[in-house]
Amino acid sequence: MKRGWQFGEVVRNSQWLLTGFVAALVVIGILFVRSASAARADPVLQLLYRRQLAWAAVGFFLYGLLAVVDYRRWVEMGGGLYGVALILLVLTLVMGRTIYGSRRWLNFFGFTLQPSELAKLAFLLVAVWHLSLPGTDRTRWKTAWVVLGLAAVPAALVLRQPDLGTALVFPTLAVVLLLISGFPWRKLLLLGSVAVLLILYLAVALVGPKWLGMGEEAQQRVFRTMTGMREYQWKRLTVFLDPSADPSGAGYNTRQSLLAVGAGGWRGVGYGAGAQSALGYLPSTVAPTDFIFSVIAEETGFLGAVLLLLLYFGVVGCGWRTAWRATDSAGRLLASGITAMVFLHVFINVGMTIGLLPVTGLPLPLVSYGGTFMLATLAGLGLLQSVGIHRKPAERL
Amino acid sequence: MNEAPIVRRMRVVEGILGACFILLALRLIFLHTRPDPSRVRKADASSRFVRIQPAPRGRIYDGSRTPVLLAASVARKDLCADPFILHQRTNVAAAVALLAPFLNQPASRLEERLANSSNRFVYLQRHLPEEIAEPIWQAISNAGLHRSYGIYLRDSTFRKYPHGDHLCHVIGFASRDVVERGLAGVELVFDRYLQGVPGVIRGRRDAFSTELYTLREDETPPVPGADLYLTVDGTIQYFAEEAIEEAIIAHRAKGAWAIVQRCHTGEILAMASRPAFDLNRFSESSADQRTNRAISIVYEPGSIFKPVVLALAFERKLVTPSQVFDCESGSWFHEGRILRDYHPYARLSVADILKKSSNIGTAKIALLLGNEYFYEGARGFGYGRRLGIELPNEEAGILWSPRSPNWSRLTCSRMAIGQGVAVTALQMAGMMSAIANGGYLLRPWAVRRVVAADGTVLKQGEPEVLARPISAETSALMRYLLTRVTEEGGTGTRARIEGYRVAGKTGTAQKVVQGRYSETDYVASFAGFFPADQPEITVVVGVDEPQPFHTGGVVAAPVFARIALQTARYLALKPCSLDNESSIP
Repeated sequence: MKRGWQFGEVVRNSQWLLTGFVAALVVIGILFVRSASAARADPVLQLLYRRQLAWAAVGFFLYGLLAVVDYRRWVEMGGGLYGVALILLVLTLVMGRTIYGSRRWLNFFGFTLQPSELAKLAFLLVAVWHLSLPGTDRTRWKTAWVVLGLAAVPAALVLRQPDLGTALVFPTLAVVLLLISGFPWRKLLLLGSVAVLLILYLAVALVGPKWLGMGEEAQQRVFRTMTGMREYQWKRLTVFLDPSADPSGAGYNTRQSLLAVGAGGWRGVGYGAGAQSALGYLPSTVAPTDFIFSVIAEETGFLGAVLLLLLYFGVVGCGWRTAWRATDSAGRLLASGITAMVFLHVFINVGMTIGLLPVTGLPLPLVSYGGTFMLATLAGLGLLQSVGIHRKPAERL
Repeated sequence: MNEAPIVRRMRVVEGILGACFILLALRLIFLHTRPDPSRVRKADASSRFVRIQPAPRGRIYDGSRTPVLLAASVARKDLCADPFILHQRTNVAAAVALLAPFLNQPASRLEERLANSSNRFVYLQRHLPEEIAEPIWQAISNAGLHRSYGIYLRDSTFRKYPHGDHLCHVIGFASRDVVERGLAGVELVFDRYLQGVPGVIRGRRDAFSTELYTLREDETPPVPGADLYLTVDGTIQYFAEEAIEEAIIAHRAKGAWAIVQRCHTGEILAMASRPAFDLNRFSESSADQRTNRAISIVYEPGSIFKPVVLALAFERKLVTPSQVFDCESGSWFHEGRILRDYHPYARLSVADILKKSSNIGTAKIALLLGNEYFYEGARGFGYGRRLGIELPNEEAGILWSPRSPNWSRLTCSRMAIGQGVAVTALQMAGMMSAIANGGYLLRPWAVRRVVAADGTVLKQGEPEVLARPISAETSALMRYLLTRVTEEGGTGTRARIEGYRVAGKTGTAQKVVQGRYSETDYVASFAGFFPADQPEITVVVGVDEPQPFHTGGVVAAPVFARIALQTARYLALKPCSLDNESSIP
């Protein structure tokens, strides 16, 4: 019973198109991390792309490893990985590095790890594991509570860092998994309306005091007491509603990003020639990471931006096809969960770059600079590949 | 679990995913293909900059043979800050701690200046010399507080006046702004010449305000301002200043002024006014100190006005020098009022009326002139109008026209003795020069030449005749009669100097205090010229409220003599031969 190691099956069933899209995205990412950080004569920044290259190499190794091993093994290990991820998250809060006011990074023998990225994947595995247990009745409230509970623990830990954007990924993925697993519509709608109520509450906390004519400090105080969120989050949300409110502060990046995208025109200004990032108007701290899309859009224009979106569309499409073709619920849930995760990041990141969504700090998968996220994404896509390769039901062997 | 609902659900999710992608693509289309033009312009504009390079302001020199530098701008640096940026990006207290040791001010003051976080610009310290600015910049750079963090140095210039209060009222001063603008004196009047044309650099810069030199679009170097050469001679100016300063002390006076003028050209060789102020600290001076008393205050001239009456009478041949007038023994009832003489005389010749400064005699001569001719003649001597010196705040004085309601039946006789008329010292100098030079009223001028940085002469001062109130003969006669004033028995004997004959007239004017002539406050003055036979130099001296002596002959004449003697020797004027007696023509 050499399950998962049959060379023929790997070659026959693996989606080479997916690997191609992924490789293209990684290459584009490295190129533009270089372009976005080359402008400043800062040796650390100029070497960013090399480090990204190293992370990508490790990531592709993981990608291959996870692809050839049957995904069911990883799902079975989900509980353990979830536990490890939670420990890392707690450690991060205790002894993590604080950068730009939030504690997100953990030092590991010279590496800097961002455990929240790993936790996303761990949560997917454990949730899929629970949902695909033979004894789980997916129509009962209890199932929803378990899955949402599994999401809530890492979400709460991440929220403490604080990182609202990443924290929101967990419950969203939980809802997607419940939806795919066949949780009843009525109950989902009920959950949805709770979420809507929460958002309404947030909106009231945000806009209400201003509407009543309170001063800025009073508005912030009301917002803090009503939601427990921090001042900078209030600022970001306010700026999203009105980007001109604070042109040099919280709204600065969005404004410069929109300028960059607009400056690109149809064909772009050329690789490495983007004035917004080269001249430092798009700060070099965000240009290679959260705002890499605007660098690409400026330098390659509409055509490049759309090409990039098409590549993501291809990845998401391949992921979705894998979910369709999966023969067991674990495979389908895992494939759709991973696809949803990738898509969520793309949508929220691009959306924020082009001013559709508030600035949340979610990176662009495979392209943004960031080692842990690169590893996590490639590992996830490796799992996706594994679902495709090992779609033959295990029982039949 | 049946498959059908799962399929449906996956279709739903699929639809959502597709819709989201379409949404992103649509937004991209609008952003890329229809970029907000104002936004693109702003992006372009934010990287462009125009830097104005201040042009060095022209220098001011005196009029001596080897010109002495009186005013010059030196290169300095202003330490500026943007508190808004500073508060956002760095620790203000740390910045203050870094800078305080370099600057001559307590940390609390710096903190105070940087306190308002919405403020976009403050000066931390202005006009730092290079040797202080350089280490500060080093420290700022080392601490990473360079321009994008809100602290930076800016080129500036600093106007220096090496001689302090010397000639302060003529030179004036310039503002301490980025572009120095003249605020007083020739600095103000010749501001257009002194300023020069600022240079312009147009280019592009990155978000850290570092210029992208390869993209520089325009570079026009600044054109330095033109230099000014005054007619004022620093040495003669010094004589005048020293003399009036001592007079103020000796006579406990409120103020004093003196003018030295070349009588044949109208050039001002000295113009002193006290109290004065240090030009380098002009902002600490009072309005009283800044007043140029030689041109900006008017007062009733008193007896000094009498030569006008006599000259006009001679010009129309209404009297002769030897004609005798009844001086009414010092008290004359005329038009319902009594006019008195200081010393009573029974009868005086016209020549002696001037020498003894008889009020009654002069008034009687003035009545012969007739109102209209008296008025026109006085105007011809420059009274009641600005003479047009290149200095701000020149007063015109007051000279009523006979047609004006202010002209009463008394006016003619009172104006003859210098009452009911207000003049400036400059106008008296103009009158004396006209008498001295053969009858020409000349425009007084203080700037000989304006020379551009490349050496071209932009403006050359020239003598200018404003009027010709009297003929050469009358002028010669008046010269003779005024010389008698300083001879034995005259009022101006103390104005005499060794080796030169001096012509002149004393004046002791009561000041008007609260609408009445004061018994205690006087303006003592002396106006004259020398050498009397071949006049070269006119000097006017005024002393404001001298105590206790107050007559022009006692207070002002010695000051005149002192300035005149020093000037005559300095200019190496030819002494007259004492045995050559002048006679009445």
